[in-house]
Amino acid sequence: MEFKLEAHRIVSISLGKIYNSRVQRGGIKLHKNLLVSLVLRSARQVYLSDPCPGLYLAGPAGTPAPPPQQPGEPAAGPPAGWGEPPPPAARAAWPEPERPAVPDAPWVGGAEPTATVTGAADAPQGRAADAAEAAWGRVEGPREAAARGAGSPAGGSDAFPEAPQAARRPCACPSGGEDRRGAAAASPGADRRCAPPPSADESPAPPAVCPRKRGAAGVGGGPAGCPAPGSTPLKKPRRNLEEQPGREEDDGAEEMETGNVANLISIFGSSFSGLLRKSSGGGREEEEGEESGPEAAEPGQICCDKPVLRDMNPWSTAIVAF
Amino acid sequence: VAEADIISTVEFNYSGDLLATGDKGGRVVIFQREQENKSRPHSRGEYNVYSTFQSHEPEFDYLKSLEIEEKINKIRWLPQQNAAHFLLSTNDKTIKLWKISERDKRAEGYNLKDEDGRLRDPFRITALRVPILKPMDLMVEASPRRIFANAHTYHINSISVNSDHETYLSADDLRINLWHLEITDRSFNIVDMKPANMEELAEVITAAEFHPHQCNVLVYSSSKGTVRLCDMRSSALCDRHSKFFEEPEDPSSRSFFSEIISSISDVKFSHSGRYMMTRDYLSVKVWDLNMESRPVETHQVHEYLRSKLCSLYENDCIFDKFECCWNGSDSAIMTGSYNNFFRMFDRNARRDVTLEASRENSKPRASLKPRKVCTGGKRKKDEISVDSLDFNKKILHTAWHPLENIIAVAATNNLYIFQDKVN
Repeated sequence: MEFKLEAHRIVSISLGKIYNSRVQRGGIKLHKNLLVSLVLRSARQVYLSDPCPGLYLAGPAGTPAPPPQQPGEPAAGPPAGWGEPPPPAARAAWPEPERPAVPDAPWVGGAEPTATVTGAADAPQGRAADAAEAAWGRVEGPREAAARGAGSPAGGSDAFPEAPQAARRPCACPSGGEDRRGAAAASPGADRRCAPPPSADESPAPPAVCPRKRGAAGVGGGPAGCPAPGSTPLKKPRRNLEEQPGREEDDGAEEMETGNVANLISIFGSSFSGLLRKSSGGGREEEEGEESGPEAAEPGQICCDKPVLRDMNPWSTAIVAF
Repeated sequence: VAEADIISTVEFNYSGDLLATGDKGGRVVIFQREQENKSRPHSRGEYNVYSTFQSHEPEFDYLKSLEIEEKINKIRWLPQQNAAHFLLSTNDKTIKLWKISERDKRAEGYNLKDEDGRLRDPFRITALRVPILKPMDLMVEASPRRIFANAHTYHINSISVNSDHETYLSADDLRINLWHLEITDRSFNIVDMKPANMEELAEVITAAEFHPHQCNVLVYSSSKGTVRLCDMRSSALCDRHSKFFEEPEDPSSRSFFSEIISSISDVKFSHSGRYMMTRDYLSVKVWDLNMESRPVETHQVHEYLRSKLCSLYENDCIFDKFECCWNGSDSAIMTGSYNNFFRMFDRNARRDVTLEASRENSKPRASLKPRKVCTGGKRKKDEISVDSLDFNKKILHTAWHPLENIIAVAATNNLYIFQDKVN
């Protein structure tokens, strides 16, 4: 039990490090991020393998793209179940810190069209590898650019609905352009990514939608999708867009959660794609999950219906910390 | 402490008369040892500033929207061939060859120009004279002679001059390039660890060095705690190693952080070329090049930190990259630790000592007192408990004079130079 708590804590810390590494001077440090991802994977393995009946194994699925995928991982087992809701304190804490966190993030007026690929994207060389690399950086790039462009935190959430929405479109597009430079496989996905979602009017929704779109597409167009031909990456973002209208209407708080999870997930790659799928995508996701890695199989099994996402509280506490 | 003043590399030249330091602000400061002087007998051995120059400036890669830090990652001297001194300095992306030369004479008595430099009217010159050299105040000039740029996608962590004195290597996280000192527009890639699919990345290069005598041999260490020795004669691309040095992991000490602490932060050949030393987070290991299965010596630097790895992970200290160095005769090795402590291991006498580099504890000409860290139980007088160690005071860079017992220790923004007491 203590191992699980310890592992959870380490996962949170590791995510924070990866998140902060985007804004460090000098670009993303490959060595440090590799080491952090290894720790993340170890912690995740402990977290999943430590049997604790009756407790929420909210599948941290904390495996980022870089470490090699181990064939034995699906054996880490489907979690015991999505049992009880997490402690109320954690849940209550969720929306509050989320607000200040989000304005700091790029959604506010971040209209900078700078196509940024942070990290060590390797332009002249092998495209598939570069796409994966560029995906790592690419996903973070526009966000970072937008963060730089973000002015004041919009004085609360009131300014959210209009400004971020308008701003987001130019924000998203240049990343598509960047993708084209970085990798052919990803660019069709990037185009789709650029298309604004059909309904993005609610204040929490735009920020959530943007990263999730990017996340899924980055996921598909990123590490897992790139080596394969474009079919896999293309499908994921499209399905996401379809699902959005339905989802957004449901629960504002839930959107924010998944949105932020998507940010972090997109950093780690396709392993998390299952967490974003809803029931319609569940079965589909599984077969694609195999392509993207054994880890994806777990979330695919778990995320079979909506309430499940609501219960991803270990993640929420991790994210809240940032 | 201004971040730009933090020293990021320290290196003696081949004779030991010059000591170069690089800092995070991209500056290089060179110290020179004072010559023996009868009027000032105690000044022998003192190092004073000889030259200061700005080696690298911050740059911006517009294509990738990346800032390139000006921090000097490594300095390596070239062997001296004439009156001038040459060194290589590198930041994350660009290596520069600097020429440091002295000017202590000035020519006077030109025919065509005045003493203040104005041109003289040729028609007014009635007699010719030969200019003579007059002494002037010593001026040390540093000029960049070569710029080796655009060859590294990832961050350069090492440079190493070959024993042929014509080539050198530069290593980043995934690749090692071979350069000729005269040629700046191209380099050969000799090691490439980049996987076809970056998703499969499991290992990066952390340090690389040429063998001190065999110009075809180089080693590079990895984040997985392994060292590969390559022979450039066997193939153009040294992706296949000739030797592979790895110590099997002790399964009982496995933790979340096992991979991080086994990552090698520095690798150095002994002067003899027979041994090499690796530094990982908690220990230094000496390897015999003829035995790949395990090191011949393992020295614990600060084993008391093993139980604190989680906190050290949180505050990022676990990612600190400590360097290590040999003394001139290879009988001792030195490496840094926290709280401004550094450790020396006498290989022959099997003794080790912990010393501290701090102003309070080192008056000029006073001997350094050995320090001790108390690991548990009762703390004796003069001991420091693990919890009171200052992890912001870290000694990552140390250097040992190639011939004498003089050491240079960089403690954040201060440089300490210690030497053996000579009676």
